[in-house]
Amino acid sequence: MKSFFKSKGFREFLRIVLALVIGLTLGFIITLFVSEDPINAYKSLLLGPLTRLNRIGDWLEESLTLILLGLTICIVFNASQWYIGVEGQMILGALASGCVALYVPLPPFPRILLAFLAAMIVGALWGLIPALLKAYYNANELVTSLMLNTVALKLFEYVLKNFIMHEKSRSVSSDYIGKEFRLGTFIPDWPFLHNIRELWMKQTNVTVMVYVVIAAVIVVYYLLYKTPFGYELRTVGLNAKFARYGGINVNKTIILSIMVSGIFAGLAGVHITLAIHNRLISNMTSGLGFEGINIAILAGNNPLGVPIAGLLYGYLRAGADVMERSSDVSRELVYVIQAMVLLLVTAERLLPVVKTRIAEHQEETGNGSAGHVKQIEEKGDTHVN
Amino acid sequence: MSIELVIKSIFSSLFIASVIRISTPIIFPAMGGLVATAAGVPNMALEGIMNVGAFTGVMVSAYTGNVWLAILAGMVAGIMMALLLGVFHLHFKSDLFIAGLAVNLMSSGGTVFLLYILTGDKGNSSNLRSLSVPNIDIPLIKDIPFLGDILSGHPVFTYLAFLSVFLVYIFLYRTRFGTHLRAVGENPEAATTLGINVTRTRLIALAISGVLASLGGMNLSMAYLQLFQKEMAAGRGWIGIAAVHLGAYKPVGVMLASMLFGFADAISNQLGSLNIPSQLVQMIPYATTVVALAVYAIQQRQSALDRMKKYQKEHTDSLAAEASNVE
Amino acid sequence: MQPIIEMKNIVKIYDNGVVANNGVNFVVNKGEIHALVGENGAGKSTLMKILYGIEQPTDGEIILNGESVTFKSSLDAIDHKIGMVHQNFMLVPSFTVASNVVLGSEPLKKGLIDREKVLQVTQELSDQFGLFVQPDAIVDSINVGQRQRVEILKTLYRKAEILILDEPTAVLTPQETQDLFKAIRTLVQQGKTVIFITHKLREVKEISDRVTVMRHGKMIGTVDTKDVTREQMANMMVGREVFLNITKPEMKRAEKRMEIKNISFISDTGRPVLRDVSFNLYAGEILGIAGVEGNGQTELVEVLTGLKKSAGGSVIVKDEEILDHSPRDIRQKGIAHIPEDRLTNGVAVRASIEENLIVDRYFRAPYKKGFMLDYKLVDSKSNELIKQFGILTPNAKLPVGSLSGGNMQKVIVAREFSSNPYVLIASQPTRGIDVGATEFIREELVKIRTSGCAILLVSADLGEVMSLSDRIVTLYEGKITGVFPKAAEVSEEELGLYMLGIKQQTYEEMEKFL
Repeated sequence: MKSFFKSKGFREFLRIVLALVIGLTLGFIITLFVSEDPINAYKSLLLGPLTRLNRIGDWLEESLTLILLGLTICIVFNASQWYIGVEGQMILGALASGCVALYVPLPPFPRILLAFLAAMIVGALWGLIPALLKAYYNANELVTSLMLNTVALKLFEYVLKNFIMHEKSRSVSSDYIGKEFRLGTFIPDWPFLHNIRELWMKQTNVTVMVYVVIAAVIVVYYLLYKTPFGYELRTVGLNAKFARYGGINVNKTIILSIMVSGIFAGLAGVHITLAIHNRLISNMTSGLGFEGINIAILAGNNPLGVPIAGLLYGYLRAGADVMERSSDVSRELVYVIQAMVLLLVTAERLLPVVKTRIAEHQEETGNGSAGHVKQIEEKGDTHVN
Repeated sequence: MSIELVIKSIFSSLFIASVIRISTPIIFPAMGGLVATAAGVPNMALEGIMNVGAFTGVMVSAYTGNVWLAILAGMVAGIMMALLLGVFHLHFKSDLFIAGLAVNLMSSGGTVFLLYILTGDKGNSSNLRSLSVPNIDIPLIKDIPFLGDILSGHPVFTYLAFLSVFLVYIFLYRTRFGTHLRAVGENPEAATTLGINVTRTRLIALAISGVLASLGGMNLSMAYLQLFQKEMAAGRGWIGIAAVHLGAYKPVGVMLASMLFGFADAISNQLGSLNIPSQLVQMIPYATTVVALAVYAIQQRQSALDRMKKYQKEHTDSLAAEASNVE
Repeated sequence: MQPIIEMKNIVKIYDNGVVANNGVNFVVNKGEIHALVGENGAGKSTLMKILYGIEQPTDGEIILNGESVTFKSSLDAIDHKIGMVHQNFMLVPSFTVASNVVLGSEPLKKGLIDREKVLQVTQELSDQFGLFVQPDAIVDSINVGQRQRVEILKTLYRKAEILILDEPTAVLTPQETQDLFKAIRTLVQQGKTVIFITHKLREVKEISDRVTVMRHGKMIGTVDTKDVTREQMANMMVGREVFLNITKPEMKRAEKRMEIKNISFISDTGRPVLRDVSFNLYAGEILGIAGVEGNGQTELVEVLTGLKKSAGGSVIVKDEEILDHSPRDIRQKGIAHIPEDRLTNGVAVRASIEENLIVDRYFRAPYKKGFMLDYKLVDSKSNELIKQFGILTPNAKLPVGSLSGGNMQKVIVAREFSSNPYVLIASQPTRGIDVGATEFIREELVKIRTSGCAILLVSADLGEVMSLSDRIVTLYEGKITGVFPKAAEVSEEELGLYMLGIKQQTYEEMEKFL
């Protein structure tokens, strides 16, 4: 038992919990200053999502998008690529899936399948531009991917306004997608589940995307940790020079890592289109752009941690909605909390580090020289720039 | 408006003046980015700091009625955000990029949060009476035809922006501290052995970048418009970072790169009056950034290759010469 | 002669328990050139870091000009007129020579840096001490010898009276070394004191007045240089015969495995680093490259293994051209590589031991099964290798960065040797690792050579090259200057002449042995 509390995993966990506690405490202090009824406001933030079935549904729906975004970032961060073009990939994925669902004359099942496929391909391809620029010309992927996000958003608006938007529509949006072409509820229509299914469907809109997301988590986990490609990706992320020396095609790996991640951003696009909004509408990705980073970092870039982090932040976001509706505190408080947590989780010195301390370990085994330790610490963080 | 008119207007003094005006909120964060990058701490929070500066300026001017106090407050707010980043990165060892993104998140969330508290609106501050900085007419120059229209009558910030290019140049290349700052950026170990405090230097570099970025933000909310809007910087902080790369880390180069983006933006404004869908037009500055970065990167690679080829040729030539000498 | 520095009973124990200095007494007289010699890890660098204030001693006393001093940082040392030239230069590449010299205390005029004065001061110092530099040249564009002079000028600008030079000749050409020695003599004539760290005994004889020998963190003794021979110094340094005793079965050289023809390489800055290098590697033979570091060995290995693009030539393996192919292609031909810089190329420190062991094979059967990587197999194979190569670790899942240098090197060796190489290129295979690991790796090298592998050995340790190689090639300024078909029959002195470009065989002499 003692060894468990000393174990790396436990300390990592403790660290993240601590960061969350500090973040939430800070949020509460802010609430104290700004709210007439801070206790109630914070209560609705922390407990709100659980108070009604439909709120639980909102929470889960929100979380599904977040988990997919977290997986996207998890992949690129494991390759040490500072690629943050997720929002662009997601919005174009949404556009692709929306168009298929609206216009392609196919029966429901193949149509939805095609919508998925289209979104995944578009998501992957949109990553190609910054990926090529990074791999072959070492152009800063952070800036290019961010700029391309805006380009993608404008492209989306352009297509939506000029080709899709219904003339009589009052909002900038497409028609609603036909019911049969949306994603169905996640509870199968089995006799003994009938009542629960009815209840859920009345109150919430949690779809079969649940299964897709579970599958996605498993796929990303296996992809990163159990396949040769994942090995290449992580090795390039840890030390690109070593990867090259060992025979790995570093450029190809960088490009593929960004493209593969786009597949999952595309899936997030499907989710917001065919499950949440049920149509294409202006600003559909608003506020989601950086969530992937929050979640991947909170999950320690581990795909198995992503669902937990996603559910957590989904919960906070759902709680923020409740808080905003039932008190005088606006939902943006959550961004401040999240930003604080992000800062704290990466603050190695503030919340003591979990990384296997090389010096510490050497003390245990009693060999190696001090100079050697220093060298490792200096060279250990070879960023691929 | 017809295409001819647009083309005509592009060559007008008003258009050139608008390029200058539009470049202003890019030059500021770009100069800030340059100082921070030169010190080896590329500031990824410029975007957020611009928002905070824009917000603070508007709020303080609305509540105090004093525009100068507002600018001062905006600059202080910019410094605070930059120091938050600096302290987390330098003292608590947060990853610089992630911490930068966190500060952005905090800024965009925090400004909207406070905006709602102060105005009850989440979109903008139009129901507050905030102030704008005065425009400056330069005596004599303003009367020169054409040139006068271009150079005179801009808001204070525009002149400050171009002045900041000059000041940053003097600072980085002619002052002791600026020189130390560049040394810290290039070889922190060497700087340390000479008694230069790397952490402190970087913290100050970030603070300077915070001041400059916040000025860029206030230019948006107190000159360009007279109110604060949600996410007001609209990517200019990031474009500023791109300009730092494109300008090859030199003040004048960075300024020219910023003006290239200003130009793209101004063009897109002009085209907006044509019958081209506005979304496509609005893409121009961002697409320009990507294209410019790509061209720059490709050209860098190409010139490295060319240099290599040149050396190889020189080498084979000298070998041939050697061989013929032996004979 | 009176002592200017007395370091008394210096003890340095690092936080992790390593004893780097154990009761060292070190005395330097004013105005002398004092050589400090010892093997890698003997504690001489630590001692100097203490003297320069970078490290604080656990115990002991430093007396400077008769006064007891404590240095909290190198700044205190600089204040006491001690200057140090580090092995890796501490220069700002984009700055001019002059800006580097005055960095940290620039002369000012009206609040701004007085650029003319900066140039002028540098020029004056340069003239005064005969350290030729061009004050307005950008450091990035000048050569290593010049950079070193800039470093020395930096210390002189800060009025250093005592100069510590940490292995200053390691990166220099013989000509540059001579220039440096001349400069050192000028410095001493003008009253400076120089401490010269090295492990090249020839240089100790040439330049120093007295020499202090260290071994395993202890001081062995200080003697007048003229009173000792190199052999005596060598014995003090290593405490055993310098020449290693390696039992090598007789060589059974077989077929040609790699044919290297006229390889050239040009650095990014346009310096020709390799010029028409040609030789062959044969099965069952170790070919050693002897040369002073920086004469093209690093680049030779990187070109052969595909890490750098050549400027021409040809490398034939199994009747196929492999020059400038990708590292993967080259590895697929059976060429294994122990890299010179293990932390950069050899391992990913934060990846686990087992993941470091499979970088050259993860993509093929039996490791790749369908779409998956068979981690069970990886695990069992890794444990086999850990056992076989005696890697000290509780398990294969730990990050390789948690191992000591010697064990980390064993991980690399285990990976490269277990690929059953057709040709092995080993660069500095035992640099900076403990004696046990060193001996183990050397034995393994001999073992696979005897079992028929072709080996190219590059090492800065001449003893290693001489005792392991069957055949030796000397490399000087990127050119082959000599080939010695029977390594056992050539003396160190003879090799040295070729390594330093003093003697050179003609192509006709070399041709049949290459």
